[in-house]
Amino acid sequence: MGININSQNLNNNSDEEMVLNIGPQHPSTHGVLRLKTITDGEIIKKITPYIGYLHRCFEKHCENLTYEQAIPFVDRCDYIGSMNNEFGYAIAVEKLMDIQVPEKVEYIRVIVAEMNRIASHLLAVGVFGLDVGAVTPFVYCFRDRERILDLFEMLCGARLLYNYIWIGGVSHDFPVGWVEKTYEFLDYFEPKIIETNDLLTYNKIFIERTADVGVIPPEVAISYGVTGPNLRGSGINWDLRKNEPYSIYDKFDFDIPIGMGAMGTVGDCWDRYYVRIRELEESLKIVRQALDQMPRDGDVYESMPKKIRPKSGHIYSRTESPRGDLGFYIESDGSAIPSRLKLRSPAFTALSCIDEISKGWMLADMLTILGSLDIVLGEIDR
Amino acid sequence: MNYFLAIFDTISTLITGMSVTLSHMLKIRKGNVTLQYPVERWPRPERNIGFNEESYNVIRSRLTVDMDDCIGCLKCERACPVDCIKIETHKVEKGEDLADANHTGITSNGTPKRLLVTRFDIDMSECCYCNLCTYPCPEECIFMVGGPNSNRHEIDYEFSEYDRNDMVYRFSKVPPDILQNYVQKKEISEKAS
Amino acid sequence: MVDFYIDLFSSVDFIKPYQSSIFIISVVLSGIPIFGFMAVNALVAVYVERKVSAFMQDRLGPMGHGVGLHAGKWGVLQTLADAIKLLTKEDIIPKSADKKLFLLAPCIIFIGSFVAFAGFPFNEFLVAADFNLGLFYILAMSSVGVIGIILAGYSSNNKWSLYGSMRSAAQIVSYEIPAALSLLPIVMLSGSLAFKDIVLAQTGSTLGILPNWFIFDNPFMIVAFWLFFIAGVAEVNRTPFDLPEAESELVAGWMTEYSGMRWAFFFLAEYANMFIVAGVATIGFLGGWLSPIPGFFEGNIWGVFWLVSKTSFLIFVMMWFRWTFPRLRTDQLMRMCWKFFLPGSFFVIIGVGLWDLLMR
Repeated sequence: MGININSQNLNNNSDEEMVLNIGPQHPSTHGVLRLKTITDGEIIKKITPYIGYLHRCFEKHCENLTYEQAIPFVDRCDYIGSMNNEFGYAIAVEKLMDIQVPEKVEYIRVIVAEMNRIASHLLAVGVFGLDVGAVTPFVYCFRDRERILDLFEMLCGARLLYNYIWIGGVSHDFPVGWVEKTYEFLDYFEPKIIETNDLLTYNKIFIERTADVGVIPPEVAISYGVTGPNLRGSGINWDLRKNEPYSIYDKFDFDIPIGMGAMGTVGDCWDRYYVRIRELEESLKIVRQALDQMPRDGDVYESMPKKIRPKSGHIYSRTESPRGDLGFYIESDGSAIPSRLKLRSPAFTALSCIDEISKGWMLADMLTILGSLDIVLGEIDR
Repeated sequence: MNYFLAIFDTISTLITGMSVTLSHMLKIRKGNVTLQYPVERWPRPERNIGFNEESYNVIRSRLTVDMDDCIGCLKCERACPVDCIKIETHKVEKGEDLADANHTGITSNGTPKRLLVTRFDIDMSECCYCNLCTYPCPEECIFMVGGPNSNRHEIDYEFSEYDRNDMVYRFSKVPPDILQNYVQKKEISEKAS
Repeated sequence: MVDFYIDLFSSVDFIKPYQSSIFIISVVLSGIPIFGFMAVNALVAVYVERKVSAFMQDRLGPMGHGVGLHAGKWGVLQTLADAIKLLTKEDIIPKSADKKLFLLAPCIIFIGSFVAFAGFPFNEFLVAADFNLGLFYILAMSSVGVIGIILAGYSSNNKWSLYGSMRSAAQIVSYEIPAALSLLPIVMLSGSLAFKDIVLAQTGSTLGILPNWFIFDNPFMIVAFWLFFIAGVAEVNRTPFDLPEAESELVAGWMTEYSGMRWAFFFLAEYANMFIVAGVATIGFLGGWLSPIPGFFEGNIWGVFWLVSKTSFLIFVMMWFRWTFPRLRTDQLMRMCWKFFLPGSFFVIIGVGLWDLLMR
């Protein structure tokens, strides 16, 4: 497992303090992240995250790629919720080029993005259970996630990195039989959320481990720029799909779950976890409504431009990815290659507040807090 | 009072959790999700399920080029985001016909072939399986093929190789010595003129 | 069994003069089956654990299929393959570790389980060392392992191994108390510490159907059984109490620096301890080697069968706990021990005493 363990006395404070280095490889699968923890044996005094182990120069690469070639690269930033990344990017470029996609394409995009949100939250929930020690819910969540990935494989051939949502449309239409299989999946999945609740959410040991731990007070969350389920777990009702609706989200009827402090303080780890579980149910609702409302005929290639050459200008557009508020800043100088493409990563801001919220907790809690923030290093480092 | 409530809570939630795992254990025959790999394989997505046009292949696997149809337009090379396709072409004089290279005539779509493709290398270890090269090809001669259920040798694992250089797929049909002769002939004729 | 061998050898004329060697030979001869049983128990327990965990997670676990070397029809050869692999691993001793203590720690842990097994009866007659304070002996000997754990953590020269082993030692020592106290009702009901008498007091049945086991005697005994069982799980360091050796916590525990066969010894000792805890619970509460249908299937061999099957059921319950629950943090664990289990065991003692007084 390769945990790098150093312990040395810190020279400026009392010699009770120790530096524990939770090295780039550690058993919880959040990616390669180094956390330098200063503790006094058990209680944490300060955490410094060191990132950059997964930096792949994504933004620099995009300065040499055309707009449609950048889509596989954008996929690989947040590799767990790829469709949402592509969605955000496509919306940004389409705004720059003033393209209006047909309604069928909008529905397809929403369905696929919400299914990917379900898959991403399943992974977050399962890995959080694994961090706390429960192995079985992890396997159950992955089993359900496999069903979603099988659906995606039937759709575009790839399980994790899709290259499906293109600028001006999608790469191809739903195959025959996909919609029926998706309905089957939705019916199969609803009882599974209840099973996860029985097994993990209301389990007393789990509640003991996560309630009141790692509280993010609402002011701290806003001042650090935390968004997504982490922000909603602290009780603030902000979701880009409702507050600044993009695409056709205003046609669907769904709620925004926020953390109420049901088992402890508002904004603790249990709240953030519970917001994700409730978001699974809400996404199911959205997918069902979209499948019902989607026009069955229509050409998905109608508005796809032959050459993607936006006029000069710049744009910043944001969408709601499973981790939070994903922003794209694109600057174009009129050619087929963007002159600057920047991705604002929600997990980056979530990781930045870990120092503040883990002061005073024990080492065993630190991994719980890290797991509840649901970070993906691919997005943080790009 | 809270003390006893906590005890009761604990016991009831723990028993609920235990009953979930027990029911899974007893229903293993129906609920099993393991696929015992070399013996059983997973169902491969159907190629061409009901698209109403010429269907794109939905498999993401290794690339194959049907060289008899390639006209050397270089569109796939330009589309690749990671630059893993390398193509070199030569213009051939009218009337010349290099043996075995099949570079004259027309493709199956009816387009006349004008270029000799002397090098068509795809480095599969760099390929990111995005399928972007298959869409622009006017002859549809580059596509992804293979995948988990194609015919393989018993101990071959899909398309893994032992040596990194074997991962470069060379598709050009021009044998090197014939190419050498042709290039030399061209240089001589250029010097002469 | 030691007595049996001593009598056997003393009756043979030409060995009679060598009393001390007779003693040594009989001890060795009784110890070998115990070691054999421990090894077989570990082998089977590891296989069952992997299969049980797999079935609970909707997957199949080790299976044997396909070309080449494989793990037997249902994966039964898997543990054997693991054992061979561990034997052939490189023996790594950290350079700055305290070498003598490092080598001594697995031995002590193993000795702790082994001597506890020595007093464990499989039958009225089949016990390595027949003490008349069997229960007390086993409880005492299961504390010997703590020394091994502390030595393992200390000698690894790894600050976090030391912390892990300290936590583990604190946990084991604290949970000894509720475990021992919840066994007191058994002594109260049977009047003796010897295993033979405890099981003897559970023979027969009420109304011809319900066996006279101690767990059915008294509603307080059910509470005592669960208290003892859960405290026993905490003593063995299994989930939900396995923070000291947890894999997904940041410290890899007190066993980090051990590899190969030494690590296998720790594992062997853990499964042997599981068997002992489950075995004591069976003998004390569930009737030991008595059959559940009173009067039928009694006899020496049946006795061993019933004991092993009841103990295996309890081991299955331990595995069931492991794969269902998350783990408790150390301070929550200690809080549970001192605030819930200890008062619980006092309550049980008083309850059983009052019941006995009022109902008899």
